[in-house]
Amino acid sequence: MAKVKGSIVIDIEHCKGCEVCIPVCPESVIALAKQVNGKGYRYAQPINDNCTGCTNCAVVCPDGVISVYRVKVTE
Amino acid sequence: MKGNEAIAEAAIRAGCDGYFGYPITPQSEIMEYLMAEKPHERTGMVVLQAESEVASINMLYGGAGCGKKVMTSSSSPGMSLMQEGISYCAGAELPCLLVNVVRGGPGLGTIQPSQADYFQSVKGGGHGDYKLIVLAPASVQEMYDFVPLGFELAFKYRNPALILSDGAIGQMMEKVWLDEQVPRLTNEEVREKYPWATLGKQPGKEKSVVTSLYLESVVMEKINIKLQAKYRECEANEVRYEAIQCEDADYIFVAFGSSSRICQKSIQLGRDKGLKIGLLRPITLWPFPSKVLHDLAGQVKGMLSIEMNAGQMVEDIRLAVEGKCKVEHFGRQGGIIPSPDEVLHAMEEKIIGGK
Repeated sequence: MAKVKGSIVIDIEHCKGCEVCIPVCPESVIALAKQVNGKGYRYAQPINDNCTGCTNCAVVCPDGVISVYRVKVTE
Repeated sequence: MKGNEAIAEAAIRAGCDGYFGYPITPQSEIMEYLMAEKPHERTGMVVLQAESEVASINMLYGGAGCGKKVMTSSSSPGMSLMQEGISYCAGAELPCLLVNVVRGGPGLGTIQPSQADYFQSVKGGGHGDYKLIVLAPASVQEMYDFVPLGFELAFKYRNPALILSDGAIGQMMEKVWLDEQVPRLTNEEVREKYPWATLGKQPGKEKSVVTSLYLESVVMEKINIKLQAKYRECEANEVRYEAIQCEDADYIFVAFGSSSRICQKSIQLGRDKGLKIGLLRPITLWPFPSKVLHDLAGQVKGMLSIEMNAGQMVEDIRLAVEGKCKVEHFGRQGGIIPSPDEVLHAMEEKIIGGK
């Protein structure tokens, strides 16, 4: 059966580190980075590859900085 | 729209003639938006990144001296640098609009939201006896609305006006109603409306002089008395506030800006528990709604000032209340935003329980 695997790409320069995306991720994929972006905010970044492509994070992001990609993986 | 972007769009649509600023988080989006929107093509408005905050405020002095609608924006450390220029603008009675998107301090501080610049904003901030007209927006819509209002008040009283926002409202995204474009004033219109503007001497007219230097103390005192009379008039006419569920309240929160948004939720939580709580939100921090608070003090049992600082507005509340009811302060500092539960708990502990 085809399984869906997801991956997120974050536009770190436009992320303001508001952390809204972190609690909505069912797989706890996102965390704030230790580094900061050009404005000085700690940006969100993926910390593991458990992403299912549910797009919760992209929906709640007030600045629309998260892009979600989905691929079908056939075993 | 982001709060910062709303300010930038409002400036273009209010017919602002010039923006001079220097980037600093969390208000950089104002200039970024202006640069991207190219207002020099839309309305002819000048947008310039100065070499420093000190330069930008002095550019404002020059622009405002010509009777133009000019504005700048910065965040806490940048505002501190501007204080000298702001004092000069107030001394020379020049109208201009300043925006402070406050971050945590002191020093370089953090880049998270705070309200610790209250004293600096409402007590003058720079040297000499002067006041700024201070507006405190609590939503992105108000960020937008207060730009034309700020210009209106600044020109009415010939005094700098300040929008005291904070990092939360500056970065927050909300829906905004935009107004129609107001055309910029031409030089002829400026000359007619503002005869004090220095746009070149016209034949048959008096020379206009913009200065804050008066070497004779007798003259200087007269200017000071004139300024104070102007401030008293402003205090009498321009107090703005919002009272939420204060009619039947036993206890009230006093909060401005983003703190007042948290308090609105705390009121709901409190009312669910059967506590009659209201909120008084000063919209103009100077002139401060002292009379309203004084009147309210007679009907309520206690007031709690919620601020994202160590207790600044609470002093003005105590002055207004004159001991008629209990006034306490609760706040978080350094960029931490208190939660509605925390605020309600503080009310229960400090005001309702602490008798």
